[in-house]
Parts: sequence; C-alpha cells; structure tokens
Amino acid sequence: MKKVININFQGRILPIEEASYETLQQYIESLRQYFDAEEGRDEIINDIECRIAELCDDRLKKGAVCITEDDMRLIIESIGRPADFEAQDGFEASTSANASNTSQQKFSDNDENPKRLYRDEQNKLIGGVCAGIANYLKLDPLLVRVLWVLLFGISFFAYVLLWIAVPNTSTTQIGGARKRLFRDIDNKVIGGVCAGLSKYFDVKVIYIRLLFLVPSILLVLNWNHFHLFQFWEFDDFPNFIELTFSPSAVFVYIVLWLVLPEAKTTADKLEMRGEKVDINSIKNTIQTDMEGFGKRAQSWGSSVYNKAKTSEAQTASTAANAAPEPAQRGGCLQFAGRTITILFKAFVYFVLGVITISILAALFGVGIATTGLLPLRRFILEDGAHNWYAYAIIVFFIWVPVIGIVTAIIRKIAGIKKANAWVRGGFWSLWALSWIFIPLFFATLTKSFSKQNEPQEEVYQLANAKVNYLEISAQQKLKYYNHYWLKLEPFNFFDSDTVYVRNLRIRIVKASSDSFEVKYVRISNGKTVAEAERLASKINFDLNQQDSSLYLDKGIAINKTDKFRNQHVIMTLAVPVGKRFKITNRAWEQVRVSVDKRGFRSQTGPNIDFAFDGDNSNWYNDEDAFDYDYDVEYIMTPTGLERVGGVKASEDDKENPEALKNRLEELKRESEQIENDLKKTWEQKQKEADDIKKQLDKKGDNLNRNSTKKESSVSDTVKAFAFGFDAIKLLVSRFQS
Amino acid sequence: MFCIVLNKSPIFVFQSTSMDIQNTQSQMRKGVLEFCILSIINRGEVYPSDIIDQMKAANLHILEGTLYPLLTRLKNAGLLNYRWVESVSGPPRKYFVMTDAGKEAFSVLLQTWNDMANAVSLLTQPPTPNPEA
Repeated sequence: MKKVININFQGRILPIEEASYETLQQYIESLRQYFDAEEGRDEIINDIECRIAELCDDRLKKGAVCITEDDMRLIIESIGRPADFEAQDGFEASTSANASNTSQQKFSDNDENPKRLYRDEQNKLIGGVCAGIANYLKLDPLLVRVLWVLLFGISFFAYVLLWIAVPNTSTTQIGGARKRLFRDIDNKVIGGVCAGLSKYFDVKVIYIRLLFLVPSILLVLNWNHFHLFQFWEFDDFPNFIELTFSPSAVFVYIVLWLVLPEAKTTADKLEMRGEKVDINSIKNTIQTDMEGFGKRAQSWGSSVYNKAKTSEAQTASTAANAAPEPAQRGGCLQFAGRTITILFKAFVYFVLGVITISILAALFGVGIATTGLLPLRRFILEDGAHNWYAYAIIVFFIWVPVIGIVTAIIRKIAGIKKANAWVRGGFWSLWALSWIFIPLFFATLTKSFSKQNEPQEEVYQLANAKVNYLEISAQQKLKYYNHYWLKLEPFNFFDSDTVYVRNLRIRIVKASSDSFEVKYVRISNGKTVAEAERLASKINFDLNQQDSSLYLDKGIAINKTDKFRNQHVIMTLAVPVGKRFKITNRAWEQVRVSVDKRGFRSQTGPNIDFAFDGDNSNWYNDEDAFDYDYDVEYIMTPTGLERVGGVKASEDDKENPEALKNRLEELKRESEQIENDLKKTWEQKQKEADDIKKQLDKKGDNLNRNSTKKESSVSDTVKAFAFGFDAIKLLVSRFQS
Repeated sequence: MFCIVLNKSPIFVFQSTSMDIQNTQSQMRKGVLEFCILSIINRGEVYPSDIIDQMKAANLHILEGTLYPLLTRLKNAGLLNYRWVESVSGPPRKYFVMTDAGKEAFSVLLQTWNDMANAVSLLTQPPTPNPEA
C-alpha cells in the first residue's frame, strides 16, 4: 500500500507515488547543484523536467496507474545522474556486446566509477562500517572487526564518524543528492580530512581542526607536564611529543585519511556539500541500522563458528588454487601502497610539526626568560646604545618570529588566506635586522668584561680563631623572592637599586697553625684594568663570627651605576689539623660544592689542598672532584679532609664497615635515650597513679564502689604501660645484639 | 569506431597508464560529441530524444542529462535555434534547427573530421609492403 499524489509537472498532471516524488525532487535538486555554475542553468533544468514529464506521460499512456519508484528510477537512469555525466564526460560509445539494458548499463557504470567506501547493508552487525571497510579492502570482515575491537578505545570515535558519514549501500542507489564524506583536497592542510568533515557537518573548518588539536592543547595547558624552561634537556623530549600530538587524534586522522576518498570530480564535490545533515537524519540512520542487531549478531557468531570449522578442511583446497584474482591482488597492492604513502606522509608531517613546535617553544622560552631578566638589565648593561641593542634583540630576534609563526599557524588552521607580501616581508626583514644587533650587542658586552684586576689576598681577622668547630652559613636574608620557575643565579635577590650577587667561592686548605684562618681575594672584570680595580675595591665583603658560627655576607652589593662586571670573592679557609667545620646550605640550595681531590694529593702545592666551589663561577671543573655534602661535618686530619666519624670524605659511607659501626653507635645512643625517656615517663605515670590513689582514699565511703572501679582502671593503664615498656626494651636489646 | 575499455579505475593511482588511456578516451569523445550532434541536426529539425535515438542506432550512447546542457550551450553560442512545435498530447515541444552560423561551423568541422579520419585510418593501417623491396 503506497500513497499516491497528483502533481502538476511541466503542464502535465501526473499521479505519482510519494516516495518516487521525493526521489524526483532530490534528483532535480542534484541537477540544480550540478549545473549551478552553468550560464543557462534554468533552461537546462526546464528542458530536462519537460523530458521527465514526457517520459512519465508515456508510461501512463502505456497503461501504468501511477509513476512508481521503479519507473522513476528507470527514467532517472536514462537521463543520468550528475555522477554519471562526470564519469561519462561526454557520451559513451558501447560495443554491440553491451546491450542497452539499463540495469546492465548501470552495472558497468558502477564498475567504471572509482571504488568507494560504503557501509555494507547485507553483512552489517551494527552499522556495517567494518563490513564496508572489509569489502573495500577485500578482506575478511572478521579480521577488520577483531582489529576494530582491539583498538576499541581509539576507534570508537572513528566508527561513529564513519557510521554517520559513509553512505549505506542501499541508500546510495536511490538518492542522488545525499551528502557524502570526502576528503576536501582543495582546502587541505595535511590530508583534507578536517576540511571534508567541515563540509559534511556544515561547520567552519577551524572547529574541526581544533577538535583534532584540542587534546594536545589541553595537555599544553597542564603546566605540570610542560617544562618550558628545560626544553633543551633531552629527558624532556618524549614528554614534549606526547603533549604536542595526542596519539588518538592522530590515529583517527590517519584512519580517515586512509578510508575516505578524495573529492576529485565535480560530482564528488557536489555530493560533499549535498543536502544538510542534521540530528534527525543521523538518528534515523542509526535507528534503522540498529533494528535486529541481536539477530544479526547471533547469526554472525554462528557463521564465524562454522567458518572456523570448515576452514581447516578448506585450507588444503585453497592452497591448491591459491593464486588470487589479478584484480584483487592489484587492489590489495594499491591499497598497501596507498597506506604506506599516507603513513609516510603522516610521519613527515608529524616530524615537521614537532620541529615547528620545538622551535616555537624554544623561542618562546628564551623570549620569556630574557623578558623576565629585563629588570636586571640596568645592573649589567650600560646606558645608551647597549641598552637598545638588548631591546632590539629581544623584540626582533625572539618575539617577531614567535608572533610570525603563531599567526601563520592560526591562518593555516582557520583557512584564512596567506598574509600579504608586505606583512610577511616586514616580519622577515625585522628578523634579519636583529642579526645585525646580535654581534654588536655581544661585542660591546664582552668588551666591558674584557679586563680583570690584579688579585690581592687579604686576611680577615677572626674574632675567635681558636675554636674547635666552625660552622659557615649565609646570613639570614630579609626577603627572598626565588621564583620556582625562574632562577636568576647569581642574582639572588634585588631591591629597587641594589642587587646582591652571591658570587663566592670557598676553598679549604690545611692551616699551618692551630687556629682557623680566613683569607679572601676580591676580583672584578671591567672595560679597563683601572675600572676593574675600582670595582674590586668597592666590593664590600663582610664576615661575622659568633662563637663557632661564621656568617657570610648576604652578597656582593651591586648598584646601577657600577654595574655587574663579574665581581666575585674567593675565600680561603685554613682549617687546623684535628678541628672540625661544616658548611650549611641554608639559602645556598642551588650551589654545587665540589672537593678538589687532585689538590689534596699535592699537599705541598700552594693553597689548593681543597677547593670548594661556592658557586658555579669560572673555576675549572676538576674531573676528580667529588661532591661536597652540605650540612656534614668534616674534620681536618694530617692526611686530608675526612668526614667526622672517621670516614674519608671521598668514600661512600654506606659500604664502609666503619660507617656502619658509626651508625650503630649512633643508634645505641638513640636507644639509650629512648630508654631513659620511657623510664622517666613511667615514673611520672606511677606518681600520677599514686596521687589518684591518695585522692581516692580521701574521698568518702559512699563513693567507694565508683572509686574502686576507677582505681582498677588506672592500675590497668599502668600495667599496660609497663608491658609496652618491656616490649620496647626487648626490641631495643634485640637491635643492640 | 570507438571501442570502450572497461577498466577498473582505482581511487589512488601511482602514475598508472590506465588513467592516461581513460583521459585520452574522454578527450576523443568530447572532441567529436558536438560534431556528431551538429551532424544530426544538420539533417533537419529534430527533437532531443530523437537525437538520442539516432545516436543509439549508430551505437553511440549519450545520456539526456548531458545532451540538454550541450544543446543549450550550442544555442547560446548561436549555432542552433529552436522552435516550439505543438504536440498531440501535452504541452508544445522544443525542436532544434541549425542557424546559418551553425551550418558554417558544421562545414568547417566536417572538413576537419574528414582530414582527421583519413589521417587516422592511414596511420592505423598495417604498413603496405613496399613493391621495390
């Protein structure tokens, strides 16, 4: 039972089935789109409509009651769909073997058309996507399905997308104007996938591109992963990739790239734009596809089972005539070739992307760092030209390319046309200009650091040089703005016009007498020797001894007029044999101290028995040097520096029996202390209990019951406590043995 | 005259020769299509579906969907004209005729075609044995 409507079509009244009327409408609409650019579009459409009406009339005259869907299909086939026009590209001459049978014609047309991906209506389980792909690749659907399920998490998105966008085998035969998903190669950035998707869903292409980029952007925003200022360290490199390209988005993209055809012909491009796809049509597709899913799943399962059973028997026979059809093999080969090319392309784009983004991040990081250092510029750079060079380099060399690259990327993603030649040329020339400033800047900078003063050793008189133990630590700072992400060593902190530079190196030597000695050298660089001398003499290095503590000054003060010219102090601490000292790392966290072992061997040598680097200044790096441990006491022995406890400073304490002995002693001491503490508390508790008893005795007889209860509870706790004490004692004794 | 090779054309082609053949074929067809239509109309006033029938009889298949735009284009170029003819049933139908310009163009095309056909048949024939050899 089908609904028939009457239409007035080109001056003829036609009874037509509703469905075929819709088909007709779609067909006319597709023609209208196809001839959109044509000058005489309306005339052509009109002519064709007239012809259709005539053909319909013929059919009615032959005795048909109305125009059925079959009739309409035949009529449309005889006139041809836009895709057929394109495929024919003119007209088709056929051999006599190719009869005028329309269905056969249709078949041959299909053969000539490029192979396309359809969702397989006959073999579908859910939406027919896997079956369609299997059909397309001439593979077993089982294989594709298993692969798909294995990659479930990632492929889910791709499945839904294909389900919506890829036409069903049954639908394609009817509609002419149905929208199809293509790769839009005219507007592509990489493979045209995003552009095609945007055409399909009628969204601006930038949104689709962002959808593919958003996972990565989210990761970028997660700053914990983003070591912006350590990007040059190799360790962070894989991390960097991870956040740049989300693997799943890349996977989906590659799958779509592989599977979607590119919109080559005009007909393809028409189909790509096609009719609107809204929620309703998507819902309808999914609803119709899901009907009878359970049954299909069951039958598929049983067929797979049967196949598995029979396959063993069949292997022998298939092996005999294993030679695959040439066409099939060709298809497979072509597909393999295509896959390899696309994967290769994807890889190349991936590498290019990584490179671009690393360059961008590097520039960005350097830009941030240098801009962050700007407040310090007045302490280093001379006024005038020097200052401007620095500005020019920061702006032109770093920020100009950053802005240029970012805008270029945004343009590319958003599909905006390229910036005009003047803007681009401007960016490039500004950047080129910066190359002039770089040598100028560094030439002037090195010049102002070129000379050094003549170092002279001065002696600091310790207030109490005879102490047995000296602890060296930094003076407490008033305030300390040490940003976690930006360390401005050696500029430890600064106020409005003074910077305190902790440019200090400490060397440890053996003292000749039995008292501590401190000597120091003030060194500075400068444009001339005289200037270096002047700056060195201005260094105000103060020490402050309080009993066994020696406080270092908070730093070398540098002001804006004198500038930083690598002023530094080398302090020599002479430790008498048998005396101990310790360098704490309070407020010195970043500084690495190493002990110069080579110096130790040449005891007769002048002054370099032990060299502690108080900072990372220009002192040579000794390969034999070992890490100096902060907050560890060292003792000077006739043979050299040793850790307190008889361990040589150079040796690792964990493997050493002496160290173990030392630790054991320590533990023993600790355990004794614990024992003492416990004893004390026990006595105290007992006293308390006695007090309570006394109090209870004082109370009247009428409260006797309650009091006994209380008494018993108190005695219980005391007992428990005593038991615990015993247990601890047992433990300690065990440990001692 | 035109033999068709039904070759499967893959979507992705690495410089395959089949693509070139297809391209050549379609170029050939395109070149003679207008000429064929003009020669049919040159015989006298004709209705588009009659053109299709006559071509089909000559074993040339053309879709009406491609014929109509071609006729319109030729008409707009001034080579053709049309006339409304009352039909027995239904509204009047469009019949196409040649204009003078069309006739002129046709004679030029005919000359070209004869030359071409001659050249092609000469070249495609097996070489005749040289009597002097």
